[in-house]
Amino acid sequence: MIEFDHVTRTYGPKTAVSDLTLAIPRGELFALLGPNGAGKTTSIKMLVGLLHPSRGSVRICGHDVVADPRGAHLHVGYVPDEPCLYDKLTGREFLWFIADMFGMPRHLARGRIDREIECFELGEFADDLAESYSLGMKQRLVFAASLIHDPSVLVLDEPMVGLDPRSVRIVKDLLAARAREGMTVFMSTHTLAMAEEMADRVGIMVRGRLRFLGTVMELREQVALESTSLEQLYLELTSARGEER
Amino acid sequence: MRGPPPPEPVRLLSLEEEARVFLRLRATLIWETARTMLTGSRLRLSLVVLLSGLFWGALYGLFVEAFAFLDALHANVISLLFNAFFSSLMVMLVFSTGILLYGGMYRSPEARLLLTLPVRAETIYAHKFREAMWFASWGFILLGSPMLVAYGVVREAAWPYFALVLPFMLAFVMIPAALGGIACLVLVGWLPRLRLHAVSIAVGLACIAALWLGWSLLTQSRADAMSAAWFERAFARLAITEQKVLPSWWLSSGLLEAGRTDRNGQLSVSGSVEALKFLALLIANAMVLQLAAGWLARRAYRRGFSHLTGEVPARRRRRANWLDRLLTGGERAAGPLRLLLVKDLRLFRRDIAQWSQFLIFFGLLGLYFFNLRSFNYHNAYASMIGFLNLAVVGLILSTFTTRFIYPMISLEGRRFWILGLLPVQRDQIVWSKFLFSFLGGLIPCAGLVLLSDSMLGLPRSLIVLHEYCCLLLCLGLSGIAVGLGAMMPELRESSPSKISSGFGGTLCLVLSSLLIMVVVTVAAIPTHLFLLARTLGPTVVAEDGLLAWAGGIWGTTLSLAVVSTAGLAACLIPLRLGLVAFRRLEV
Repeated sequence: MIEFDHVTRTYGPKTAVSDLTLAIPRGELFALLGPNGAGKTTSIKMLVGLLHPSRGSVRICGHDVVADPRGAHLHVGYVPDEPCLYDKLTGREFLWFIADMFGMPRHLARGRIDREIECFELGEFADDLAESYSLGMKQRLVFAASLIHDPSVLVLDEPMVGLDPRSVRIVKDLLAARAREGMTVFMSTHTLAMAEEMADRVGIMVRGRLRFLGTVMELREQVALESTSLEQLYLELTSARGEER
Repeated sequence: MRGPPPPEPVRLLSLEEEARVFLRLRATLIWETARTMLTGSRLRLSLVVLLSGLFWGALYGLFVEAFAFLDALHANVISLLFNAFFSSLMVMLVFSTGILLYGGMYRSPEARLLLTLPVRAETIYAHKFREAMWFASWGFILLGSPMLVAYGVVREAAWPYFALVLPFMLAFVMIPAALGGIACLVLVGWLPRLRLHAVSIAVGLACIAALWLGWSLLTQSRADAMSAAWFERAFARLAITEQKVLPSWWLSSGLLEAGRTDRNGQLSVSGSVEALKFLALLIANAMVLQLAAGWLARRAYRRGFSHLTGEVPARRRRRANWLDRLLTGGERAAGPLRLLLVKDLRLFRRDIAQWSQFLIFFGLLGLYFFNLRSFNYHNAYASMIGFLNLAVVGLILSTFTTRFIYPMISLEGRRFWILGLLPVQRDQIVWSKFLFSFLGGLIPCAGLVLLSDSMLGLPRSLIVLHEYCCLLLCLGLSGIAVGLGAMMPELRESSPSKISSGFGGTLCLVLSSLLIMVVVTVAAIPTHLFLLARTLGPTVVAEDGLLAWAGGIWGTTLSLAVVSTAGLAACLIPLRLGLVAFRRLEV
């Protein structure tokens, strides 16, 4: 579903992502971890086509993101770290706009919009202008918009920022359910507990390189520590000592 | 490599369907904006409509007089005037559309959203282009339409002229706007490293050309200013704008043909046909350029966006400069008021939007004042123009106090926890904003008024009076902006333009305009009555009459008292109310 093929991205003299090769199959929930400046957001921007790789290629469902961006975007739902909405559209109007963009027939779009409004508990404010929304409300609406077309791939950049505990639970349950139904989820996060709880595999990036790729169990085996928490494993791997390994 | 088909019922849209979706989006956004303004910002909307109407009417009257004057003396220069006007507007539209498109297509959150949807790059370009073209050209429509209607009325043109004015203007603005769009796409898509240099060089060259032209016109012999010979010399220098390859020439020629009448003053059919040919030429070129821009957008937009997203922002180390050290008193510990002032000064210095607008408006005003001597105004005129210049300085200051000073306290909202935890009294926050506004406004405004009066050759007493009025205006305008800002803070809003365009900002602008009107009118009355009495002489004006009294020492004293009261009241009352409201504010 998602393929990074020897992808490198440079910013001037700095290499943000170096020779990243990664394949994520259908139905997998993948969490990308790493300290600030590790290259997580750059990888996500390349995945959704906002940034072109300096070398290598990124494919979604077989569509090259640079050569065939529309074909790739048709399969993707994207939740950015900062939600972007039209202030002068209501939540419902925004969802209609997204549904129209994906060419959904009106009768089906109406059903999907109602489904997402109910799922993310947007009903109370769905007909208010987005300019009056709090950060959490905006984030829930962006989640709803990203799922309206039942994408094959969902890309999430720090998805839980601004969400209250109840919304976090809703999102976690939803992601698990959708992944079971075959949707591939690619998320970057600093919330280690969430990665540990939800991810089938984790990738840990340090200074643009993928330092680890595998399950949390495999990580424990590789680091060979007595500690059991992912936090300690993560800190060990991203520390200077860990980099020498 | 092609992948599997998308899951039903998702599909890629055709170009027409994409265009329809964006048109629907635009219509909804316009409708919601209009609805919000009609329900929540009636004062602002009424004010905008009223002022636009007044502005349009005043321009129309001015152009009617100007065309009547030119028709009588220099009928052959109208074509040159149109060409000069439209060609300079064309250059401005290229730049403004290009800059607006750059912001809309490459730097806006909306572009980041749209680029992650399955939509064509050229459709996004077209969507942002319409927006940029409207923002860049509404001024041209507002400024150009009274001029062209006035020309038709003075020339007694037949109905086709009036029917064709708007289509001509719309077809014309598409051309420079498309050129601006193409330049923006090429610079960002293929010459990213040259972008800043290319724009800087182009803007620099345009400024040099405009300054050279302005200077050469203003430094002509002043003895025969406004005479036929003066006009001929002036317009000879503008002949460069009469190139037949320029769309501005097609526009002016088409309009002149449309306005042509036959010998009996009736509709000229041949003129109308010629006008339609010019309109077709404009439309055809606009469409070709649109196609070229769409083709370019398909190839360059996503690539350019990626280039820009991948650019490393320059890291600049900032240090306290001499002004900061002076205000804080060097190494000694400074009081909170001083520290707050230095903080605001630093933010102002580092916000290019603020100081560049400040510099452009006051710089242009300074350039105009510097050339006032060219016009050889006589004494009575000079005095009137001195007061009008004072009003213009006040009006420009009021736009700055409304746009930048009024939102300052609201903008502290998100940082309020910082100030709230510091040993700073809330009053000190309000006073620091007031001092920042007052001192920041007084220095350039007093300098500009002095420059204007010196160039007009006004007597010292009038200069002192103007400077006193300027001081009162700076006090009053700062008091209004800071006081209202403290009374009606919008602590959740982070955009200064949204804060200043709300009810409080509009009220601030209205009160500021009223203050300027009162101060300038009341201060100007005794001066003009004095000059009138002197011109008419004692045979007409009775020494103990009302005219002589109002223009004498008592009239002047009374006007000074009124002006002082108005200025101080405008400063102290809102400031006092603002301080009380801000002390009680629950954050």
